[in-house]
Amino acid sequence: MKAVEAPVKKSETRSREKTDKPWQVVVLDDPVNLMEYVSRVLIRVFGFSKEKADVLMMAVHERGRAIVWSGGREKGEMYVNQLHSAQLNATLEKAE
Amino acid sequence: MTIAPTVSGGLKLLPEEEQDWLVLFKIADDADGDLARHFAGLMDEDSMWEEIVVPELDHEFSAQRKKIMKAVFEARDGAEEGLVIERKDAEDWYGALNQARLLLEEKYRFGSREPRDPNEIKDSEMRSAYFRNDFYGTVQSLLLEYVMVD
Repeated sequence: MKAVEAPVKKSETRSREKTDKPWQVVVLDDPVNLMEYVSRVLIRVFGFSKEKADVLMMAVHERGRAIVWSGGREKGEMYVNQLHSAQLNATLEKAE
Repeated sequence: MTIAPTVSGGLKLLPEEEQDWLVLFKIADDADGDLARHFAGLMDEDSMWEEIVVPELDHEFSAQRKKIMKAVFEARDGAEEGLVIERKDAEDWYGALNQARLLLEEKYRFGSREPRDPNEIKDSEMRSAYFRNDFYGTVQSLLLEYVMVD
């Protein structure tokens, strides 16, 4: 007789992970931090190219905010911690 | 105050009168605030920012202020003329000046990166803060241009 197989939990987990929305690191504009400095911090913290960092920096400057990274909460908090350490206004938000 | 790059990749600040030294001493006062808690206010309560991150940031920001004040006192009392910001210290100088500017902005709302006519500022304390803020920003720009280069 063939043994009854236990329900496969793995696929449920995978499916939940797929639908879970990621967390986003958002940098907010402020009138103090110099634009070049903001780019430098984005390069240092996230390893972005100069071009990508400049695009994101301009987005922060012109639109007031920019999503610079998305992924798991814990890693997002680590990045926000580094941005705060560099004195940039940043927060962590759940993707909509 | 004269500011110039040094051949070793630093920045030299040469105060020419007592007022210039006073501005340098004022950095620590202007930077002395609750900046770490300001950043915590941007996070949700679940993040435990107040409990975990704020003390770390407080410590880090305080260390920057202490370091640059020590340098100013030593330069004032030292035999060498002026004050040299070496490359290894540039991040701390930039950070302390940034703290000062962020807190001045919080207090006075100078409001933008655009230049403003200081003659329009009637309050003398605020006008003085405006000039300091402008000076701090200039030093930061020079640090980025000449010292904090890769």
